Amino acid sequence: MLIFATSDKGGTGRSVTSSNLLYRRALKGGDTAYLDFDFGSPTAPAIFEINDAVWGIKGGGLHSFLLGEVAEPRALDVWYESDRDALRGQPAGAGRLVLYPGDVGGGEFPSDDVIVERCTKLLMRMVEEYEFCLVDLSAGRSYAIDMVLAATADPKLAAVPCRWLVFHRWTRQHIIAAADLVFGDRGILDTGTVRGHDRERLSNAIRFVRTAVVDPNSAELAGLRAAQVAWLRDCNAALQRLAGRHRIGRTATLGSVPLDPVLQWREQLISDDDVALTQIANRATAEAFDGLAERLVDDAAWEGL
Amino acid sequence: MWIQPRQQLLEVWRAMARSAVPAGGWSWGGRHGRNSISDAEQLLCLLGPATEIPSFKLDQPDETADDVLDALAELGDSVEIPRLLVRRLTEYFSTYTDDSKTPVFSGGTYFAAASQVPPTAAQRALDVVDSFSVAIRLSLATIGFTRVFRTVVRRPDLVSEVDALESMASRRLSAAMVGLLRSFSVDVFDVGSPEGQALLETVNQQGLPTRQVVESLHRELRQVKAGVRDITLGSGQVTDIDNDNKLFQCGWSWGLVANAPKVDTTADVGEQRDGVAQSAPYLYFTVVALDCIRNLFSERTRLLGLLDEEQNRLSRSLQLRWDLTQSYWSKVGRFGSGRWPLEDLPWRTVDKVDSDYLSLLVTSIVVQDLTRGQPTESEVQRVGEVLAELAQRARITRRPLFNDPALALHSPGFRLALEGTEAAGGERLHWLVADFSPLLLKQTVLVAQLLRHIELRGQVVTLADRTWEHLRARRFTSGQYLHLWDQTPGAAADQDVQLPSWYYTERVVESLIAAAGLVGTAPLRSQALAGYATDLLAEADHLFDQELLSVSAEAGPAMSAALHGARSTLRRAHELMGNRPGTAAVLAAEVLRELDRLAAARQKATGPA
Repeated sequence: MLIFATSDKGGTGRSVTSSNLLYRRALKGGDTAYLDFDFGSPTAPAIFEINDAVWGIKGGGLHSFLLGEVAEPRALDVWYESDRDALRGQPAGAGRLVLYPGDVGGGEFPSDDVIVERCTKLLMRMVEEYEFCLVDLSAGRSYAIDMVLAATADPKLAAVPCRWLVFHRWTRQHIIAAADLVFGDRGILDTGTVRGHDRERLSNAIRFVRTAVVDPNSAELAGLRAAQVAWLRDCNAALQRLAGRHRIGRTATLGSVPLDPVLQWREQLISDDDVALTQIANRATAEAFDGLAERLVDDAAWEGL
Repeated sequence: MWIQPRQQLLEVWRAMARSAVPAGGWSWGGRHGRNSISDAEQLLCLLGPATEIPSFKLDQPDETADDVLDALAELGDSVEIPRLLVRRLTEYFSTYTDDSKTPVFSGGTYFAAASQVPPTAAQRALDVVDSFSVAIRLSLATIGFTRVFRTVVRRPDLVSEVDALESMASRRLSAAMVGLLRSFSVDVFDVGSPEGQALLETVNQQGLPTRQVVESLHRELRQVKAGVRDITLGSGQVTDIDNDNKLFQCGWSWGLVANAPKVDTTADVGEQRDGVAQSAPYLYFTVVALDCIRNLFSERTRLLGLLDEEQNRLSRSLQLRWDLTQSYWSKVGRFGSGRWPLEDLPWRTVDKVDSDYLSLLVTSIVVQDLTRGQPTESEVQRVGEVLAELAQRARITRRPLFNDPALALHSPGFRLALEGTEAAGGERLHWLVADFSPLLLKQTVLVAQLLRHIELRGQVVTLADRTWEHLRARRFTSGQYLHLWDQTPGAAADQDVQLPSWYYTERVVESLIAAAGLVGTAPLRSQALAGYATDLLAEADHLFDQELLSVSAEAGPAMSAALHGARSTLRRAHELMGNRPGTAAVLAAEVLRELDRLAAARQKATGPA
């Protein structure tokens, strides 16, 4: 299965949520790969704490591969290369977790037919090798989106299930921007249709994920005054209605990730130890990631109305 | 009010979801087994609040409230729940449609045998007004639900599922309306007959000469009689009503009336079966029918355009019967200038059956009639007192005696003999109604809503609270059906009794919906409180202006913050004066105390002024 992660704007927590999602998927078994197509600012190595590649690697990354400079993109096995103790060593029953990083100083580049062809080949190989392959695209309308839409429209990839996740924060501006990224002019649906996708089918394969959501009913907000909670609840209801009007309401949402101090201060994977042993992360956050990882493969959650 | 309708309704929903889980998402049946009424009642426990109270709606998954989803979590998420409803409703409508595509309105397992002889299959298949009534409510709720839900559905297979459901609901609605038109009855009798004498005895509360009572009864009912003459469709067409020597009563029998003419309609209602029911009104079925017919011309039905053209035509015919029956019973119940017949508990029917339950039924018609007009406070108060006395007599607000016969009203309930059921073979069947407490609660809440006097409303609300306490005590307290009804006090703990009664639960849900309506209204405005608040606010305004006159602009940040706060508070108090004088008074008092603190401090510095 191919999963494409994108977001309306930067700083939505797209990469950190995707990484956690894939990490949870790997723990449940099944080989997983993370392809960092965020050509502007690669962050995945930092999240997986592979210190040698924190700013991307020098040559041999996904950029070099797509531009035809190398025949093979570099692969980093997180269970072996990570500098974080909790991640080192493949847990029993877990699948592989492999990161394909971008290059140092990469940056965006327009795609052409040759690049699309290379991209298609790459994705086909990934699908053969891994059960779940998550492609982290950059924020907003980008060449990367256009390239993967063109690649997935290729008949060779027609039989491969593709799912799109659009990450957005739970605010008025982000809701409108996320809806615009998908449904707006030259949005994902428009671009996909131009590239030969069936609009309806593509639309059914897109789900939204709300990040850094402040849940007005959660126990974590016990410190707020009652008036603040009352206000927050009304704001939340107004946002629900706004999202519904922009077609990214609950029906189109795969899940939401609560605001968590660990994710706010440092983008990292949240392990079970972080919740149970050191208790630096909230249980609700880990449960949200776990729920997302479950629903990602649950066909009922993608059936829609 | 101690009843918290939202929390209680959510608790019922949670209980329903929990009870359905072991059966894989839904289990039909209940204490009385499956039949066309019980199954509809079960569905209405969910669909009723979902269509009547905006914050409980389930038809727009994007806007479903979080606590609602939380309560129903066992049934699925916001997308799965409406789909589950569509599937179950479809299952319901197809189960109760026979091979010739005729909707079935049989009473089934709700028919009770009078003796050891069980009802025959033909008897169980008889159509009952209760089923017509619940069908109208369920169909209207379903059509309203599908209209909204379809706008969010995109998948073609789902769209056609929803469309099919709507057309099934619409067909059942038409058939139920035709059924009600063929169950209506006008019972005419001589003044001198036992029925006539019984009616006169009931209405003659002041001991007037018979001739005088008959005359004024004719005068009171002149308009109703004129309306009855206009009936040209279905049953209830009579010729001899104009005779001055005749009296009459009108309402609904228990089922299709024997020899009821077929209704000429273009609606697809399937076969119109022959009836067997006695042509005489039964108070219970009359109330049930009146209650559902009101939904046909409610604001919601008209705004959403839930009826098609032919259904609108049938609905107008039903509305005529509704008006006549409503006003007949309301006039008879409040006849005369002294004590109302209704106040002479218990109510006695023309065939000499008397029960407090019948009094409650007549009260409920009177309450409905009062909500239509502009009742005086004293009229409403008198109805409230009847309800209070009924609650005492039914041992809801009084402790029962040892072996108290009044408890039979709650369990097994009030027994109605269904005359005519023997025509379908077997013995005459009975119908058991045990919904005294939920019906009382609903009427109490409606009366409270009509009262404008704060103290009187307080009394009636207290009665509602105590009735609710009684109802709460009858929920299951453990097991799979926790928090559903009805655990009859002292009943044997065998398997059958431990199943929930959807009949009862649905009626409780209905009374909670009524209670939600009461809570949703604006608070009563007390004149005394408004006067007090006005005076208080005037003093606060004046002292505030004085303070501004004495303090210079350089008084420092602390002072200007205090004055700014006082100004905002006063402005808010003025805004609230119209609807919430109590809140306005408290805000004014807050400002007064703040200003006095400054004045007192100044006094310390300069000595008494």
